[in-house]
Amino acid sequence: MTPRVAQMGLGAFAALFFLFIYAPLLLIVAYSFNSNPVNMMIWDHFTLEWYTGLFGLSERGPEIGDQNRALYLESTDQMLKALRTSLTVAAFTTTIATLVGTATAIALNRFRFRARPFYSGFLLLPMMMPDIVLGIGLLIFFVTIGMNLSMLTIVIGHCTFLISYVFIIVQARIAGIDPALEEASADLGASEWVTLRKVLLPQLAPGILGGALLAFVISMDDLVITYFISGTENTTLPVFIFGMIRRGVKPEINAIATLMILASVIVAGLGLWLRSRKAD
Amino acid sequence: MALLEIRGARRVFTTPEGGKVAALDGVDLDVAQNEFVTLLGPSGCGKTTLLRAISGFEALDEGSVRLDGSDLSRLPPFRRPVNTVFQSYALFSHMNVARNVGYALEVRGEARPLRETKVADALEKVGLSGMGSRRPGQLSGGQRQRVALARALVAEPRLLLLDEPLSALDRNLRQQMQLELKALQARLGIAFVFVTHDQEEALTMSDRIVVMREGRIEQIGTPREIYRRPRNRFVADFIGETNILVLTVERIEGAIARARTAEGCVIDLPSAGRAAGERLTAVIRPEDFTLGQAGIAGVVSRAVYLGSDLILFVRPEGGGAEIRVTARDRAGAPEPGAPVHLSHDPVAAHVLEGA
Ligand SMILES: Nc1ncnc2c1ncn2[C@@H]1O[C@H](COP(=O)(O)OP(=O)(O)O)[C@@H](O)[C@H]1O
Ligand SMILES: [Mg+2]
Repeated sequence: MTPRVAQMGLGAFAALFFLFIYAPLLLIVAYSFNSNPVNMMIWDHFTLEWYTGLFGLSERGPEIGDQNRALYLESTDQMLKALRTSLTVAAFTTTIATLVGTATAIALNRFRFRARPFYSGFLLLPMMMPDIVLGIGLLIFFVTIGMNLSMLTIVIGHCTFLISYVFIIVQARIAGIDPALEEASADLGASEWVTLRKVLLPQLAPGILGGALLAFVISMDDLVITYFISGTENTTLPVFIFGMIRRGVKPEINAIATLMILASVIVAGLGLWLRSRKAD
Repeated sequence: MALLEIRGARRVFTTPEGGKVAALDGVDLDVAQNEFVTLLGPSGCGKTTLLRAISGFEALDEGSVRLDGSDLSRLPPFRRPVNTVFQSYALFSHMNVARNVGYALEVRGEARPLRETKVADALEKVGLSGMGSRRPGQLSGGQRQRVALARALVAEPRLLLLDEPLSALDRNLRQQMQLELKALQARLGIAFVFVTHDQEEALTMSDRIVVMREGRIEQIGTPREIYRRPRNRFVADFIGETNILVLTVERIEGAIARARTAEGCVIDLPSAGRAAGERLTAVIRPEDFTLGQAGIAGVVSRAVYLGSDLILFVRPEGGGAEIRVTARDRAGAPEPGAPVHLSHDPVAAHVLEGA
């Protein structure tokens, strides 16, 4: 094979590869602009109605009769409520997991005690655990201690494994920091607290932010574990969408999915940008 | 009273295999105001541990560290009036150069205008004026070194500790920095304790050199004393090229004691303190031998080119260890295989303590 042919072959392969990965996403984006309310896979004409409907800007909705129309509006409400639940849960989870995960990573780095290797090992376990096991385990736990399923149980459940994610990312960053930096700070007259604030945390910032972003995305995305511990009152968006597949998919889902893709791209871009700014 | 007094310092580490290593094994050391003291020794001899005992990052098992007469052992590192230039420089990569240099002042809570003046001053002292807004990542190794120095000096320490600060620099820059550091120390009038494993560096810069081995001090002295009058074989061997000769004194002739190696090479020593029949070890530096018509007869086996000088390895006719001799590299310098005669001034032969 001449290099030219090889290069063309490689180009074709790359194109197919990316098509394979991104085709489903592109379909969702395309359908989110399709005005056909009954079968969204049959192209009617271009519309922004599903987006405007999401934000309560359009009342029109599809032509489906008054009875169906009431049902339709109600389920739109539920979907928006699920989105709000997801965002609330993700916000709390991200905050807690980031604080606890970071503090744990710093503490484990600072203090060398006998049980340290076990401690690190056990912190990783929830990450490796199959979601379904974690979900059942959490459900049994909440039932056993008599805790009603609510937004609180979702937050607790998410924290159990997201702390591990933040911990791993921050710990990797700490391991790369020259221990002499903290000594230099102390040498120049800074107490431990000042050193933490002025040297360690700024040095860790990219790792902490990266961990927080990951925790947020995973919390927003989790279906299996949340399915077990969300109860009926507080469904998150993934659980709502999953349930909807049985009842028929609303076209607004495509609009929401497209917005989520957009948000993910922004978050991932932010993450990459932070990574590229690692300590020079 | 000395500025720094270390008495009976001991520090034992447990190795990962469970063994014990005495990184410091009974160290006594005084450092005077305004003195440039160098800790010199092979890697692992305890230099860093001694420095860290002074800065407070390592606690001693036994012994004391006093600064200006007051015991430091209870003070945490951040309260000690001592600053360090770290081997890795340990610059804060998330701060620009000016903030790095002003860190000690920032932590103390000094007002910004005063801080800025002092930072500009310090940067000028180390030749980095106008570099304040750069990031450490944008500097060369030599410039980072200077930032680390300026950052430590801004804190106005009584005593500056430097742990192999020049080892990462290339040779030319290192030699330039050696002279600059020495000049800076003299100008500032503060004491430096400087760590190196490079004997040349120690000889160039120091007021006094402390030669260490395995947690103990082998000898303390001026560079000339250490070079000319090493106390034992270890110091003689560690500092510069030298010939170590095991001798028996044959007879005393006035100011001269005539001694012989086991193979019969004749070496003359100063007679003070010598007695006939005595066995001893003496050192003679390669530059103290002269090539001439008389003296120890031998054959050049190798010549190592050093630039202006050559080191000749001469195999004595009677056998025994090769003798190293410095010769000028010029036309007529002996080639390998040439017969030569080596003579020396008896005063240049130095007898080691012990056998
Ligand atoms: N934290 C430590 N734990 C165990 N051993 C150590 C530690 N620090 C130093 N040592 C040991 O102490 C000895 C002296 O070390 P160090 O003071 O760093 O030597 P130098 O700076 O002269 O190379 C070495 O044998 C080293 O392995
Ligand atoms: Mg060292």
